[in-house]
Amino acid sequence: MKNKVNLDLVSLKFIFDRYKSYIIPVVIILVSVILFYQFVIPEFSALREAQREAKELSQELEVMKSNLNVLSNIDEDVLDSQLEILTLALPLNKDAIRILNSIYATAQKAGVSLGAFSFAIGDISKSENTIDLPVIKLSVPIEADVVGVNSFIEIINRTVPLSEISSVQIGNKSSKIELSSYYKSLADSSYNPKARINPVSQKELTLIDQLNGFEDASVVATSSGQVQALILTK
Amino acid sequence: MSANINLLLHADEESLKQNRKKKLFNLIAVGLLMAVCLIAIVVFILIKAVNPESIRKQQEDVLGQISQFQNRQVKLLILSNRIETAEKILKTRRDLPKITSSLLAKIPSDLPVDTLEVNGKTVMISGQSKSLSAIGELIDNLTDMARRKEIIKSLTLSSLTFDGSKGAYQVSVTSEL
Repeated sequence: MKNKVNLDLVSLKFIFDRYKSYIIPVVIILVSVILFYQFVIPEFSALREAQREAKELSQELEVMKSNLNVLSNIDEDVLDSQLEILTLALPLNKDAIRILNSIYATAQKAGVSLGAFSFAIGDISKSENTIDLPVIKLSVPIEADVVGVNSFIEIINRTVPLSEISSVQIGNKSSKIELSSYYKSLADSSYNPKARINPVSQKELTLIDQLNGFEDASVVATSSGQVQALILTK
Repeated sequence: MSANINLLLHADEESLKQNRKKKLFNLIAVGLLMAVCLIAIVVFILIKAVNPESIRKQQEDVLGQISQFQNRQVKLLILSNRIETAEKILKTRRDLPKITSSLLAKIPSDLPVDTLEVNGKTVMISGQSKSLSAIGELIDNLTDMARRKEIIKSLTLSSLTFDGSKGAYQVSVTSEL
């Protein structure tokens, strides 16, 4: 009994001999698990992403088809006339002449005289990009009594371009109104080719009809001599 | 001691059990690998089947057709935008003619109005009369309007003075709209 026996080695050899046939299946299972985490799970994510993208694209396609349908069924002449009505109501720029025409035509109809007035229209070419609607403010003295001024503000409320009277001061013989005339430039309209285009609704048609019923100062001839206003261009 | 007692399993029986275990283990390993491969293939096929590219192509076709109506599209966009703005203006602007008409209707005929001021928040009326009853009627009428929240919400008698030179009472009232 001179040879030394390493018991640990013998034990390991015994265990290896006993379980060596399990090594390959264990390796296969491990490889399967790694494959599952490395490839199958990312593939599922890719599938979900592809489905989400396809759903979004399908919805966009539906919108585009609907837009195409709306656009192909529009009567362009009607659209032009509607646009004309709206442009009269809301001029594209600071149209000082039309505003003056509107005020003088209204004064004529109300049977009142206007005093000399002035207003600042600012930079004509400057596009405004504010949340509030852009306006031109005027202070208009009127030489008339209560009834005359009331008639004036009633008429101007039904006149295009659209305006709003912010204050009225009525005196015995002379009065003054503060007027804001609205306009809207094209730059304020945002364009998105994928946005849904809706045809003009019944409610919108009613509004267009209402605006069409408003008086248009631009068709009233006003002699240039009547324009006494001083236009201050900044 | 009984001669039939044997604590060791028979060798054949033990190796049979081991073989069964090995076979089961092998089967699980191969099955798992095949399952993983099968799932990967199915998911891959599904990804190819979804194919967003074909929808993109359809979109391009429709966009091409829409571009023929670009003019209409722009007009409609401007129209919608202006309708929205006009609606907002008509909805939010105060109906001053109605306010002044209603107030003037409440002023007695024998009380001439010197000043009527209406702005976004308040209204101020001042006038003069030789009769106190006309002033009383004006205050009664306006108080009634304020109570019913008809146009005005409140009423303040700012001043009531007697002008001896004219022999008339001067009144001034302020209201909140």
